[in-house]
This record gives sequence, structure tokens and C-alpha cells, in this order.
Amino acid sequence: MTQRQLAMVIDLNKCIGCQTCTLACKSQWTDRGGREFMYWNHVETRPGKGYPRDWQQAGGGWEGDKLKPGRLPRLAEDYGIPADFSFDATLFKEGEQPLRPTEPMQWGPNWDEDQGAGEFPNGYFFYLPRLCNHCTKPACLAACPRQAISKREEDGIVLIDQERCRGYRYCVAACPYKKIYFNPLAGRSEKCIFCYPRVEQGIPQACAYQCVGRARHVAYLDDREGAVHRLVNEWKVALPLHPEHGTQPNVYYVPPLSPATFDANGKPTGQPRIPDDYLVELFGPAVKQALAVLQREIARKEKGEASALMDMLIAYKHGDMFRLGRPPEQRS
Amino acid sequence: MKASRREFLKATGASSLSLMLGGTYSLRVLAQSQDAMVQHEYSGWENFHRNQWSWDKKTRGAHLINCTGACPHNVYTKDGVVLREEASKDIAPMPGLPEYNPRGCNKGVCGVDYQYGPHRIKYPLIRVGERGEGKWRRASWDEALEMIADKIVDTIKNEAPDCISVFSPVPAVAPVSFAAGHRFAHYIGAHTHTFFDWYGDHPTGQTQTCGVQGDSCETADWFNAKFIILWGANPSITRIPDAHYLSEASLNGTKIVSISPDYNASSIKADQWLHLKPGTDGALGMAMAYVIIKEKLFDVHGVKEQTDLPYLVRKDNQRFLRESDVVANGSTGKFYAWDAKTGKAVIMKGCWGDEPAQKGPPVAFMGRNTNTFPKGYIDLGDLDPALEGTYKIQLKDGSSVEVQPVFDILKTRIMKQNTPEAAAAVTGIPAKVIVQLAKDYATAKPAMIISGGGTNHWYYSDVLLRVFHLLSALTASEGKNGGGLQHYIGQWKPTFLPGLAALAWPETPAKQRFCQTTIWTYVHAEVNDEMLNSNIDTNKYLRKSIATKQMPLLPANGRDPKVFIVYRGNYLNQAKGQKYVLRNLWPKLELIVDINIRMDSTALYSDIVLPSAHWYEKTDLNVTMEHTSINMTEPAIKPMWESRTDWQIFQALAKKVEESARRKKFERYNDEQFKWVRDLTNLWNQMTMDGKLADDEAACQFILDTAPQTKGITMAMLRDKPQRFKGNWTSPMQEGVPYTPFKNYVVDKKPWPTLTGRQQFYFDHDTFFDMGLELPVYKGPINADKFPLRFNTPHSRYAIHSTFKDNVQMLRLQRGGPSVEMAPADAKARGINDNDWVEVWNDHGKVICRVKVRKGEQSGRVSMWHTPELYMDLIEGSSQSVCPVRISPTHLVGNYGHLVFRPNYYGPGGTQRDSRVEVKRYIGATPMPL
Ligand code: SF4
Ligand code: SF4
Ligand code: SF4
Repeated sequence: MTQRQLAMVIDLNKCIGCQTCTLACKSQWTDRGGREFMYWNHVETRPGKGYPRDWQQAGGGWEGDKLKPGRLPRLAEDYGIPADFSFDATLFKEGEQPLRPTEPMQWGPNWDEDQGAGEFPNGYFFYLPRLCNHCTKPACLAACPRQAISKREEDGIVLIDQERCRGYRYCVAACPYKKIYFNPLAGRSEKCIFCYPRVEQGIPQACAYQCVGRARHVAYLDDREGAVHRLVNEWKVALPLHPEHGTQPNVYYVPPLSPATFDANGKPTGQPRIPDDYLVELFGPAVKQALAVLQREIARKEKGEASALMDMLIAYKHGDMFRLGRPPEQRS
Repeated sequence: MKASRREFLKATGASSLSLMLGGTYSLRVLAQSQDAMVQHEYSGWENFHRNQWSWDKKTRGAHLINCTGACPHNVYTKDGVVLREEASKDIAPMPGLPEYNPRGCNKGVCGVDYQYGPHRIKYPLIRVGERGEGKWRRASWDEALEMIADKIVDTIKNEAPDCISVFSPVPAVAPVSFAAGHRFAHYIGAHTHTFFDWYGDHPTGQTQTCGVQGDSCETADWFNAKFIILWGANPSITRIPDAHYLSEASLNGTKIVSISPDYNASSIKADQWLHLKPGTDGALGMAMAYVIIKEKLFDVHGVKEQTDLPYLVRKDNQRFLRESDVVANGSTGKFYAWDAKTGKAVIMKGCWGDEPAQKGPPVAFMGRNTNTFPKGYIDLGDLDPALEGTYKIQLKDGSSVEVQPVFDILKTRIMKQNTPEAAAAVTGIPAKVIVQLAKDYATAKPAMIISGGGTNHWYYSDVLLRVFHLLSALTASEGKNGGGLQHYIGQWKPTFLPGLAALAWPETPAKQRFCQTTIWTYVHAEVNDEMLNSNIDTNKYLRKSIATKQMPLLPANGRDPKVFIVYRGNYLNQAKGQKYVLRNLWPKLELIVDINIRMDSTALYSDIVLPSAHWYEKTDLNVTMEHTSINMTEPAIKPMWESRTDWQIFQALAKKVEESARRKKFERYNDEQFKWVRDLTNLWNQMTMDGKLADDEAACQFILDTAPQTKGITMAMLRDKPQRFKGNWTSPMQEGVPYTPFKNYVVDKKPWPTLTGRQQFYFDHDTFFDMGLELPVYKGPINADKFPLRFNTPHSRYAIHSTFKDNVQMLRLQRGGPSVEMAPADAKARGINDNDWVEVWNDHGKVICRVKVRKGEQSGRVSMWHTPELYMDLIEGSSQSVCPVRISPTHLVGNYGHLVFRPNYYGPGGTQRDSRVEVKRYIGATPMPL
């Protein structure tokens, strides 16, 4: 265990799928140099194949103390070649040339956006933002024969040493979340760095600090005042994604509620349309209890009673969502 | 850029690549992950990222694009290169409410892309190929401006000044830029354009009901609602910076119902989603009114005091009973109610014919200025106006008529026509569900309806909005925090209007030619709206409206428009009736000038294109209706390449017109209409107030100083942090309280600025009678296009109208180009698969694009995110190709109390939602990219 672990909670009831986080991260870190196709943070529609395509079927993670085999995603078919365009030909040269991707897109970070599952009018979908989980037991780290991956003592951030990395990609296969990307130009693997240059200055991660859904809380897991500890350990409403992979993720999710389904006569049934089973598949069996707590606390609010949990999730003050050990007024 | 991309594709083996290690393989197994935790020195490569996150300059930035966000940002620059932007997070919080911070969106964090991107216009360009082809030659500023100036002078001399038209929308966004071209037009005599109505965003039904151009609460007030109906609004996609208030309200115990044909990104956040058939919203609303009236859930006092529902209507001619009917020399603008206490008809205070002791000056956004009435003026006092019954009144000629309160007529009709069962058959929503919805809405206090483009773009959207207003008036929820009908379309509200108007039309708007853009387009593009298929003769109403000067048509005297100057707006790309515009209007225009940061569709189809400074290269202001803090942008770097700010461009053009006028010996002309001898050799002095406003920042400060809403705010203060308005339109600004409209009338009880001095539901006007719209009623969608599928064009999360449609980052998060969304059943029936190319067509035009099959879409309708640029990955047309311009006759009324033409205050919108199309798989060739 590292001394401290910085962790994030993403409230899926507040995430609107706007991709501000995705692009805040991209414009900060990955908009050039062979990183164009990689999204250290992305938001995918669930249910869906996600990004990279079918990552949930690509293996990796732990089986007890053993690493499970994993598959490498393919660039064109699973990540999608990042579309590029000939603006000059379209806009500044003679002839009518439409602005068309120079390579046809076969997939992308958000290909199946809003498509979801189920049949009208009882279909369902929600948004799942994903980034490296800075796991307590990182499979990527264990898989690297060069010991290029490390977990920082002071905050548990998992980093790939760009000087040690030789681009073997064992880590890519080992990560059950497929959150490491191979940079074909640099010949090295790269991943979310949890914005350590910002974190070191007490400024939250770009994805979290820019989240306009106000859905993300960041704090040290052992900080009893921090929202993360309270949501994860006290209220137990924030859960890791696919805990069965055994990496012990440090990004947690408040599971989504959903509008009622309709019966055959078009009357609302009162039953949420996202099947519990599906959420159990993603977040494990604890999700049922988490949903029950959320519903109970919302009902309190509806009756005009107080709820410390709801107040925390509402997050009246933006600054309260982050505790990184620096004064909140010190902002970028 | 190109080289590194080739390298990238080479390194990855391009599309055929599978990473060499593809397939399953075993890994070195480590017993304990901790064993591998080697301690590293963080001095080497890590500094790469630390350097990436550094800058040497931080400036204020805003995105000047009509997104409605007005999100204050910081812009970070290093070594003279703008790196990126981040929400500044410094809007002052209000107690007890979640704060506005951080305000931003996915597009906002890519604002810098247009600065350095390949779309940027670097130099003045003159077309050498066909319009739209993209063949240009680089020109000097002098040459380009001279060409424009000469054409302007020639046109004024040989044709008429109103053959020159200047189009630039949305003054809330960059008002100084907006004012630049308007002020120029103002002094040369050219006409400018309306936009709020033309875009279909104007809440025509609210102007009818409330006598204001429009007004809505700032979005923090959503949190105060106990019950919210999202009615044709999808804030998760169209109001990204504000949508958090919905989820936060929901966590706070507020019930949210989403009424929308499709299951969308906002429906997923609701407690309940109701999927009515497209365009049947009015039937649902009227059935709710049925329940509220039948179950006596309405606020009797509110209805009697705040609406015209107790006003008396003559049974013989269906007109209001007016004072002029009863008393010799009586006013035609005074109306009666029946006082149940005294058993007499009494004149209601605050009607049109009732003037305050101190008459206030006209206010552009109000039907009439009622601000100077004393507080409490419309308070009922001892009066008890009857809502039902038939009464006898003696007229001035001695005869007598029967009269009846508006409420009684309305109630009788509703009870007959609008039962929940009848609505169920129309909407597809079970009657029991409707009844429950109505009860929940009427009993939750406060309850709010949030509406948007989904309901406002229909042919009958005005009466639909009146239905919403009826619901909010019956429940007395207007003028209350957390309540009311709130509509959000467009960043249309320049709260500092007096300051803006003084800068844009310094000799007063009364001396400015304004055309109504919908009419201008309809007439000059010779649009065939096919409304005769629905037995409505648009031209009959239009001709009358123009002939009687209710609505303007410019140029006057049957001339064609000749010169079109467009900036800060993408007229052609957004134009409904686009095919007609390209075919019929475009050839009439002898010179089309576009001033722009990027080569958008209008620029591409222009003759001269001038490079404008990007948002991070100029000083300007930015405000919105969604929140009440004014913010600014300032240059992070100097305007790049040869670009200039709009304010400077029009000053330079003014100088060139001066030179041209002298050269052509046409220095002065007498403008008959305004009795104004215009001096074309003194334009620069006029543009800059003798140099005092030459600087962009001075012009900003002029607006702030001149508007009472912002007086006392300085640019230095805005540099420090966003500043809240000091005053507003129809409610006072209160410290720590979100702005919500209409408190002046509901709380202070001054008359509403309508004909009746109340929220007005009855319109005794010929056109309204003719169309069957004298009272709120359900009108179904227009089915003039004989095609099977409704065509819907909502706003996308990846673009603001056309802006950002061509942004590479946004396109990568989609599928690389525009698509039309279709329900699985409709796709299957046509043999269409996800991502196929399809043809979408009707009699107005055709668009060929890709298809996305989406489970949440309702069968019988297809949706295409509105207005991709014409040059995008479309084989033919665009979303506007299949939408004609359709003018609702009631929008043409300009001779009825508060219903008069004023730019963007009242006028036809053109509608968008009623189009119908057919779709089939496209089997032609798909041209290869270069
Ligand atoms: S999410 Fe994947 S890459 Fe990130 S620490 Fe865990 S195993 Fe490693
Ligand atoms: S933490 Fe930073 S690097 Fe990681 S996804 Fe968020 S923005 Fe990107
Ligand atoms: S910015 Fe926030 S709300 Fe938007 S997609 Fe990302 S996590 Fe969700």
C-alpha cells in the first residue's frame, strides 16, 4: 500500500455525458504526438461496446494472485483511427470537395453514443466516464517486465516511466479497463497521469475541475473530511467499476437511478428502467444497497427533511468537492 | 501537422493495422503488486508534463457564439501562443443554491481550435471561382474594402440605400462587434436584419400573452422548483453549463417530468418520461387545463387579478366589451369585468387606454411602458370579478348585449374538447397519466415548465406557448422563484439593451431601417411553402400585413436586394428554405461580403471574405439570460495574420466609403423616409463619436455606462471578476436571489404591458379568429408535406448551430460527419442499417448523409442535428434543405395593442418542425476524399 491514495468519485446521476472532461483532458495532455487516438478520459454510453470496442471482453486483471491474460485492442477496429480532414481542399481550393474523414471511421471513442439497450419505450442508457483507476493493486504495474510502471507513495498515482518503457504493451493487455494506450510515434505506452502536475499544486484534475455536471469529487481516501471517504466508506453509495478484476480501483461511481418503465397499457410501473442485473454486472452486488440508500435519502429531501448525503452530492460549493490539501482559493 | 499524421498512420499501419501483439498471451505473474513498487526519481520525464502545464500569461476569455452559456473563462498563453482555456469559476455564489461554477462545456475547452485551426481566414479574399467553390485570391485590405465601398456608394446612388442589407445577430454576445455593422448601416441608410424571430427562437406566444419580447429565469432558479416539466427541452445537450441544476434539484427532492417524443439525454435524468407523439404537446397541455379547472385546482385570486380571463366578451360579435361600446367618447383600450359584489360591469385598471400620471418612455422589449404605474395598481382591492355567467350590458346607443367572461368561454370549450380521454387518443399518453400529471403540477408549489426548441419551432408554437402560459397562470406560478413558464432558445437577451441600442443606432432605432428577416427571405427567395395543401394562403395574410405596414418588407417599392454584408452569423447555412435561397435569392445579390474568423458556409458562398479577430484577440462583452453575471473577453494575443476586430473593420470601411463618395461626387444624399440629409464624408467621425469610441474597449465601456442595468460597472471590474447586473427587465435584481421575470406585475402589481394590462389569453383580432386562435387551443402539426416521416432538427451537444460542426475534436467524438437518427423499426422497414448512407427528401429539397439507428428515437420521426455546414460530409444538401419557410399568419399581426412589429420583439419565425420527409438507402457513389 502506498502512504496515501488520491481517489475520485463520479456521480452518474449528475453526469450528463457532455464530454467536457474528455476534451479538457485532451487539450491538456493528448492532442498531439501520436496520442490523438487516445482518450485518457472518455465518456461512453452504457450499455454499449464502449471504447476501445468491447473492452469488457478483452481480459486482464487478477485471478486471485495471478494476472489474467488480456487482448490488445486494434487501432482501426477497436479504438478507431482519429478522423482527419482536408480543410484546405474543401475551403480554400477550387472544386467542391466535402469535408470527409481521410480514413473512413470504423469506430471511435463515442461511436455508440446514446444508443443503449432495451426496446422503445422501455429502452435505457446512461453515461459512464472512464479514466485510469489508479488502482491499489494495478495489474498494469505487475505485468510490466521493465518495471517501468510505478505507484507514487504520496498519492498513489500510477505512472509509466517514459524513459524505462520500451513499448512492450504487456500493461495494455493486463489492464482490465484498457486504460493504457500504446503511442506508435513514441513507441511507448501512455496513460492518464491523474494530472499530477496540477495535483502537486493542489489543483484538481482537469477532468474533475472542469466537470460542468459537477459530478466529480476528489480527495484522499483516508481523509475523513473528504467527500470520497464519506461516499465510499461511510455512505457506501460510491462503488468501483468491475471490482471482480481485483485491481482495487480508486475511481468510484455513484450508480444511476432511472425513470420508470411503462406497462403494456402505457402506465408507469414505478420500476427503474435500468435493470438491477446490469448494474450488478458493472458495479457488483453492493450496487443494490447503494441504490436503496440513494432513494431513501432523496425521499427524505422530498419530504423536506435534511439529508447530509444529498447535500454532499448536490455540492452547493464547488470547492467542497475537492480536498487536495491546498487552500481551495488557490486556483488555476 | 500533416507530416506527423503520416508518420502516425505509418507507425500504426493505418486502417489495416492490428497492433502486432494482438491476441491473447500470457503475462509475467507477480505474486504481490507491491513488490514491483520501485521508488522513482521524479526529475526526468515527469517534468515534460509539468512543463506542459505552465503558462506565462492569463487573460479573460469568452466564447462569442450564441451558445447561451456566457461562461467566463481564463485563457492561458505561453511564449505568445494561446495554449488552452479553462472555466474561471468566479461567478459569485448565492446562498442556499448550488453555484454556477464551473461554467463551460466540451466546445468551450476547444475554443482555441478556431484560432489556430485550418478553418481560419488569414487575409482578405476575393472570389475567383464559382460561389461556393472555394477558389480565392488573396487581396489587400485596401483593395477589398474599396471594392465594397464603391459598390455601396453606387447602390445608394443608382438604386436605393435599402438595397444594402447588413446581417449580424445576437447582440448579447459581443455587443460591440454586433454594433459595428449596425452603426455603419445606421449612418449610410442601409437596413439591418432581425434574427431572434427568424431563427424561430422568439417566444411569440409569450409576447402575445405577456407583452414582452420574452423573459425567463436564470437557471439557478430551477433549483428552487418543487416540480419541473421539461417540455420540449433537453438541457443535458443544449444547456450543458446549466443542466447540473436539474440533477441537483432532483437530488434535492424535486420531481422532474420529461415530455419528449424521444428518450434523450435529459429524459434519462427525469423521474418520469412521457413520450407523446411529435407535435401533440398542445393536446396534452389543454387536457391538463381541463383537469385543473374541473378539479378546481386553479388559483382563483391569481386568475382574477393577473389575467384577462374575467374580462367580458360580447356574445353578439365575440369582441371584448370596450368602454367605447358603452360610453360616448369612451376608450377602445379599456375593458370590463363583472363585479360579483356590486353586480356591475367595471373597467379594469391598467388596460391599454389607462395611462399612468407620468408616462414613461417607450421600452423596446415591452409592448408598452407600464413601469411608471404605482405599485399595487392592479390589486383587486374590493373587486370580485366574476369568472362565469352571462350578463346584460346596455350599450351607448341604448341597445343591450349579452356578455360573458373569457374564462366562461374557455371553460366551456375545454370541457367539451379537451378531456384527458380525447388527449390520450391524440398524444398516445393514457388519460390516467395525464390526470396525474395535471394534479402533480397544480399542487406542487412552486412548479416550473422549462420549454425549448422542441416546442417552440412548430407552425403553431405561438398558441402552444399560450397553452403553457395558461397552465402557469391557472396555477399562479408566474413571478415566483422556482415557478413559471421558462423558455430557453438562443442567447437572445441583451439585458443592457439601452446601452447597446445607443451604440448600434445612435440616432435612435426609430431612424433605422429594419427588415423582418423571415419575410425578407420568404419573399426574395420565392419560397414555395406548400401551405395551400393545408388550406392556408400565406400570401393573402402576408400581402395584407405588408400593405398595411404591419410588417416591413425591404427593399421598398418591389426592388431586389443587391448588397448583403454578413458577419457573426451564418445566414445561408442556417436559412430555412435553403434551396430556395440558393436558387432564387443568391443570384439577386450582386455583392455578398462575409466577415468571419473562419470559412463557414456563408463565407464560402460569398464574393469577398474579410478576416475577423478571434474571441481571444479582441475586447468585448458577453451576457446571457441563463445567468446574471456579465463577463468579458480580451486579447490574449494580437489579432492573428491580417485579421482585425469587427469594430475596426467597419471603421475602416467607413473611411473607404468616405473616399469613394468623394471620388464619385456623391457626398450627400437626402433620405426622404427619415428627413435625414446623410453625409457620406463624415462617416468615421459618426462611427467613433469623433474618435471617442474608436477603441474597442471604449465602446464596451460606453454600453456599460449608458444602460441602467450596468451603469457603474467598469471594464476593470470585469477584468477582476464577472459582475452581476444592477437592474433587469421585468423584475428587480435582488441580492442573493436568482432573477425570475414578471415580479413587476405579480408582486408589485403594475399592469402587464399588454393590451389588457394582464396576461392576455383572448385575442379579438380578425386573423386570430380566422385561424381559430382567439383562445388557447390545441392545433396539430402541419401536414402540408405529403411524406411519411416527421423531420426533427434538434441542437447537438457538439455544436452551437454551425459553429464547432467542423471542429476535429468534436467530429472524432461523433462519427466524423453529420448523420440522421432513426428508430430501429423505421430503419428496418426500409432495409437501412446503422451507419449506411441515406437519402432524406421531400418537395423542398434533399439531403444525403449517414444514418444512426437509435433506440430512443420514436418511430415515425427522424432527427438530424440541425445545420451542419454545407461543405461537410454530405453528398447533397443539409438539414435545412427539406425545411421551407413557413409563416404563421398570427405572427404577421402588427396592429393590435402590444402586437406590433419591432425588431426581434414581434414578427414571424418561419417554423422548422412541421416538415415531413421520406428516407431511403442511398445507393449512388460516395465520392472519395482527397
Ligand atoms: S486502471 Fe488499468 S492502467 Fe490504471 S492503474 Fe488500474 S490496471 Fe493500471
Ligand atoms: S486526471 Fe487529468 S490526465 Fe487523467 S483523465 Fe483527468 S484530465 Fe486526463
Ligand atoms: S464533464 Fe462531468 S458531466 Fe460532463 S461528461 Fe464529464 S463527467 Fe459527465
